[in-house]
Amino acid sequence: MTALLLAAAGAPLLAFLGLGAVMWSGRVLPESTVSGVVIGASVLSASAGTALAVLCAVRGPATVALGSWFPGFPLLLTADRLSIPIAILGALLGCLIGAFSQRYLHRDPGYRRFYLLLALFVAAVELVVLAGTLDLLVVGWELAGLASALLIAYFHHRPGPVAHGLRAFITYRVSDIGLVAAVAVHHSGGSPALVGLLLLWAAMGKAAQLPFSGWLPRAMEGPTPSSAICYGAVSVSLGPYLLLRNGVTGPAVVAVGVVTAVYATLAGRVQTDIKSTLAYASMTQIALVFVEVGLGWDTVAVVHLITHAVLRSGQILRSPSLLHDHHHLEQALGGPLPRTGRHFERVVPEPLRAWLYRFALERAYVDAFLLDRVIGPLTRVGQRAAAADDHLARRMSATRPPVHAAN
Amino acid sequence: MNERIAELLEEAAHLLPEQGPLQTFVHHNTLHAFEHLPFADAVVRAGALFGAEPFPSEDELHGYVVEGRIAPADLDAVVAAEVADDGVPVVPGGPTRRQFHARRLRHLVVVPRGPALRWLLAESGDLGPVWAALLAAAPRVVPAADPTPRPRDRVLAETGVDTDRLTHPVLTRLAAAFLDQGVAYWPMHNRDKGFLDAFRGLYGRAGGPPDRFLRGLGDCLRAQSDWDAERVIAWALTELDVPEPEWGDAVLATLLSLRGWAGMVRQFETRPDRAPVAAHPARLADYLAVQLTLDLFALRRVLANTTRHLVVEVTARPDVELAYEAFVLAELMGVDPTPAPAAWLSLVGGCDEVERRRLLHAAYERRHRIGVLDGLAAHQNVSTPDTPPVRFQAVFCIDEREESLRRHLEEHHPGAETFGFAGFFGVAMNYQGLHDVRPRPLCPVVVTPNHDVRERAVAPARTFVRRAHAGWTHHVAVGSRTLARGGVLSVAMGVAGLCSLVTRCLFPRHAHRWAHRLAGRHPVTRLELGYTTDEMAGIVGTVLRTTGVLAAPAPVVVLVGHGSSSMNNPHESAHDCGATGGGRGGPNARAFAAMANHPEVRSRLGLPEGTWFVGAYHNTCDDTMTYFDEDLVPERFRADLARAQDALADACVLAAHERCRRFETAAPDLSLADALAHAETHAVDLGQPRPEYGHATNAVCVVGRRSRTRGLYLDRRAFLVSYDPAADPDDALLTSLLLAVGPVCAGINLEYYFSYVDPARYGCGTKLPHNITGLLGVMDGHSSDLRTGLPWQMVEIHEPVRLLLVVEATPERLSAILAAHANLARLVGNGWIQLVAWTEGNDMHLYQDGAFQPYTPETAEFPVVERSSQVYAGHRGHLGPAHVLPGAPIPVPALDFVPGFPQEVR
Repeated sequence: MTALLLAAAGAPLLAFLGLGAVMWSGRVLPESTVSGVVIGASVLSASAGTALAVLCAVRGPATVALGSWFPGFPLLLTADRLSIPIAILGALLGCLIGAFSQRYLHRDPGYRRFYLLLALFVAAVELVVLAGTLDLLVVGWELAGLASALLIAYFHHRPGPVAHGLRAFITYRVSDIGLVAAVAVHHSGGSPALVGLLLLWAAMGKAAQLPFSGWLPRAMEGPTPSSAICYGAVSVSLGPYLLLRNGVTGPAVVAVGVVTAVYATLAGRVQTDIKSTLAYASMTQIALVFVEVGLGWDTVAVVHLITHAVLRSGQILRSPSLLHDHHHLEQALGGPLPRTGRHFERVVPEPLRAWLYRFALERAYVDAFLLDRVIGPLTRVGQRAAAADDHLARRMSATRPPVHAAN
Repeated sequence: MNERIAELLEEAAHLLPEQGPLQTFVHHNTLHAFEHLPFADAVVRAGALFGAEPFPSEDELHGYVVEGRIAPADLDAVVAAEVADDGVPVVPGGPTRRQFHARRLRHLVVVPRGPALRWLLAESGDLGPVWAALLAAAPRVVPAADPTPRPRDRVLAETGVDTDRLTHPVLTRLAAAFLDQGVAYWPMHNRDKGFLDAFRGLYGRAGGPPDRFLRGLGDCLRAQSDWDAERVIAWALTELDVPEPEWGDAVLATLLSLRGWAGMVRQFETRPDRAPVAAHPARLADYLAVQLTLDLFALRRVLANTTRHLVVEVTARPDVELAYEAFVLAELMGVDPTPAPAAWLSLVGGCDEVERRRLLHAAYERRHRIGVLDGLAAHQNVSTPDTPPVRFQAVFCIDEREESLRRHLEEHHPGAETFGFAGFFGVAMNYQGLHDVRPRPLCPVVVTPNHDVRERAVAPARTFVRRAHAGWTHHVAVGSRTLARGGVLSVAMGVAGLCSLVTRCLFPRHAHRWAHRLAGRHPVTRLELGYTTDEMAGIVGTVLRTTGVLAAPAPVVVLVGHGSSSMNNPHESAHDCGATGGGRGGPNARAFAAMANHPEVRSRLGLPEGTWFVGAYHNTCDDTMTYFDEDLVPERFRADLARAQDALADACVLAAHERCRRFETAAPDLSLADALAHAETHAVDLGQPRPEYGHATNAVCVVGRRSRTRGLYLDRRAFLVSYDPAADPDDALLTSLLLAVGPVCAGINLEYYFSYVDPARYGCGTKLPHNITGLLGVMDGHSSDLRTGLPWQMVEIHEPVRLLLVVEATPERLSAILAAHANLARLVGNGWIQLVAWTEGNDMHLYQDGAFQPYTPETAEFPVVERSSQVYAGHRGHLGPAHVLPGAPIPVPALDFVPGFPQEVR
């Protein structure tokens, strides 16, 4: 059991560390070696996961201690009905996307970097899923966030991907406050309700629930396969997983899910590019999973998470063939595709329609509101504080002889 | 005022990308608007306007010098032709102008610039008297500020805030929503009244978006509700403080700042017939009015909130960079410039980076030109005139991808004779196939078809299964993106989704076959032609006379149209047949065959009873052939046809094998048996960004009899146009051929040139992050300008040389045709294509500096092999000409014994 858990969580991590060390040393490995290592590690991880599933079914769930960081913080890996399916999903998608990207990224200058980040991402996901304690989960959580932000900024010679990668990274950081605080509160024996709320806060960022939703459509900047695994499937699913793992339920979770589902389905329906459409579709379904989690329907939620991840990543991988598919669909149907959106026009009265359309097109003004009313004032406060600090420092240095400060 | 604005728009629109929706991609010269200028001037001018590269980079070109792709003789020849020289050293004891240039081009000198140079000079201390003299003589320059035709540029320079970052996302969103052809579930509100009205309808309402820069926009739009777009443009330009004489520049720069979208709006305005689904009433004036209004609001907001800090440097300083370059070169060449430092500086300055790239590129083209022309000339001495009796003939498109198919066919089946004619075979029609939803033109873009041709099933086909399957697919695609249906569907379809994902990722070819198992066989159909006998006889007669088929028709004549079908390829239609306007040429071949088999047409043209025409379709992506109307073939031709089909099938395998050598995914020793499967995998794989390399590497066009090129290995790089001078006493056929072939091939060639030379600005960059928007085009990632041009994966193996058009005609005849046709003369005279006259007696004349100049071949010996595979086996790079003479006595040394022959140049 211990060996299997270690293999499931450790194989991708080892692949990442090994590749990282070789690339650090400046050696340029052939494309097939790099991808082979990552795919192999994912296959190993997925097989270990499958074996664990069999073992769990026979012997029941198990938690394995691997020692401890320091007293009071044990290193635990856990295999149960919740962690095993998601762990298999992560590793399986890792090797499928790995195999797919061998062709897709062939000859791209960033080929090796992509696989390095893919290995890191899969390793991080396995760590999050199999972690038996909140502390270990935090490690995986941060690494997953880092890997996905770097994958968004994959084309770093253009400003757009870097800006959007940074945006995702900042959103993750803000929501991570919730996770770290939850760990702190948990260790200091705070109220479970508070821990639950803090975990919800953390999950909302990762799963792109309102008001943290702006980064998800913008994340479609990397190569198509990375969008498929991260934003169609695994990365956004980690949010609900966190709640399921820690048994967070309740009306707050339902409320977040309902509001986001309505928002995302509305905004998604006016998007005119295929990847944004799919990003909002993902957001909608993940929001539904939030509702299921909030209502305590754990099994439904897990099944929904997995099936959605598989379906959506397939759709994103197929998105560059949209024109081909559209043409063939029209031919097979023997006429233009049926017009959609009629029932909006039936249900919504005319004066409201334009307003609602603009509301959806501007993504419910969430971004503009956050930028102008939250980020703007925050930056201004920061700037004022910096100015005051400068001013104070100058006055102090004017009155006293200079001191060699430690920092 | 309105007329003036309309004029400005017209001028600016001229410079916008001319690419229409991606479904019907038509290759064209990216710099079509600059064709009135000589090529070298045009690329520099356009480069300055679009911020793009004029030639390949000096690094790349210098790499070719190092690896021998550019020979020293090429450099010397180009310098001798391009650089004026009086034979006197510029500096006493130094080189003459020509000697300087010839040496300069051989060295890549990286001169540090700006801060790096300042640091270097500060660190290196006193550099001696040469440096002092050069620095003292260096011309003084005033740092040139970037031009600021738009108020936004000025504000950016003054405040560091780019207002385009505020306005472009809004404009992109609006333009995409307005032009969308069916991606969005809920189409834009009120778009049937035009873009400006739709914008007003949305943003002129109370309770607008909370973005601070849009504050007051609603009131403004309501106040202007009855203004037309031109009035809004004039108002906005005035409010933006643009002086009236500068309006033209401001309008152009504004439109160019998001030129893909502006160009697409323009395309909808001028060519609504090309809209894939619905042509919304787009006007460039509306679009500009919206953009300027947004610009105005953004600028006001920025100026109200930031302090300006304008730093304009006006002091003239010595040009240190030039002085340092001159200093380094003086050392490198062992010259002492102190007696005449100014002369040395001006010599160095005159050979600046653009000039060096121009000369290096000319040398690069020269080497390629010599290789091809020498190969053509040498082939006349080895080709075997005694061909066996012709068993069947095949007429292909002139497309350079068919070169290998034709070569293999003739190589392995000496009884086959092939011809090249533009792939619409003279049949210009609006065609609607059995399953097509709407008709589309299948003819060159410059032709407007007058005939509608429909394909009808002979017996009503059973389409229920197919329709139900498609309906379900559509339902899942749309439903899975909605809320409730999406929830149910994603849970229900999970297992199916997993199967599809696993097979698509791991076994793409089998997955595709399985997914199409329900497609069924194409039912038996016929074309409804609707041409009069006269028209049919005219079409058939022209094609058969031009190609030379009419002189001696074989028992079976196969017409082969072509197209390409691939997955993961938004630019799929760019791989289709250019002569059918980016469509697939199968129906044209079929229609032509039907016309040529028509009894009255035959009797009118005097076609013998013993000849039958068959239409076919070649899919260049997976190298499969489809034959049309086989059931109509009379019994007596069946055996001949079967033989021809077998021969073509063999040739397809061989051509696929040859083509696969360019794919790094194919092993160098790929077996013949695996070639087709490899090609098919490339075509159907969702993860494959290189379904085929399309027109990449195209470089040559030969107009003349096939007998002069038959058996010459041309590496799938030559358009081959059949033309028999003997049948054309008055040049009428040649004139119409050149008028069609010249611009079409030049368009393909130049589009590849520009997309290769600047993939980011002329091309659409790498495919990996492409995001299809509105079923119209691709964006980079989440939201960007609409990207036009070709993706990098399509052009990465291209050689950026201008088309070498070799015509079997005397210089006098060609001069007369050029004199009579200004468009062609412009292309040739301004150097957008290289024209060569090739006479009966094997003399060649290259058109240069306004006249045909005799060309003398350098080499007469090329490798001789028995099979094409002996030339290409084991090589991935470009290959030079070779004589492929199956079974012939070998007159010159075979491949292995030619020392130093540059077989693989890259």
